[in-house]
Amino acid sequence: MKWIGALLFIGTTTIVGFDVSNKLTKRPKHIRQLKNALQILEAEILYSQSPLKDAFTTITKQVPEPTKSFFGELSNRMNEKNANLYHVWDEAIKELMQNSSLGNNEQEILLQFGRTLGQHDFTQQQKHIQLTVNHLDRELAEARDQQYRYSKMAKTLGVLSGLFIVLLLI
Amino acid sequence: MINDASVLFQIAGIGIIVALIHTILKQMGKEEIAQFATLVGFIIVLVIVINGLSDLFQQIRSVFLFQG
Repeated sequence: MKWIGALLFIGTTTIVGFDVSNKLTKRPKHIRQLKNALQILEAEILYSQSPLKDAFTTITKQVPEPTKSFFGELSNRMNEKNANLYHVWDEAIKELMQNSSLGNNEQEILLQFGRTLGQHDFTQQQKHIQLTVNHLDRELAEARDQQYRYSKMAKTLGVLSGLFIVLLLI
Repeated sequence: MINDASVLFQIAGIGIIVALIHTILKQMGKEEIAQFATLVGFIIVLVIVINGLSDLFQQIRSVFLFQG
């Protein structure tokens, strides 16, 4: 009985460690997806000159999850009557944060971007998109660095801390 | 007597694992946390050893001084 408990405990801490490491690995991936989506949005605004709702629908077709559901949610909510883009964007961001591994910095960048969306002419809008992409690039570099450093460490620490606590309790 | 041996193994295991944690944290450039982990391991082992020692002294007192 004691040994079964010990094994279960080690298993749990191992899974927690792998989960943390998984989150670290997914963050750069999700940031890259967001960058792609923003570039598509730029193209839609500048060249196709489509309204934001149609642009969001186009993006939904081209990017993978979880960014896909974010833009899908946006275009759905914009179909509602008297939808305010700023509020819609805010709420969609909150949901995106729960579904993805993005950090607080990315949330802040996206919220700032949401405030500028649809308020300016083409050139200004393009500048804002470029600025956001630059910010995301910086975050991407940092996220890669963190992944490189900490993802292996999280796995090992999970197993080791489980073993440690089991040894204490035995 | 059997209890004593298990305590020895427990302390040895804690030592090995704390050493591993220290090495990994140090490799990843988290020196302070590595030091802290080692300190915590040391304190835990110290508590175990002091418990054993206090048992020993109680035994000696009860043998030579005839009181609990």
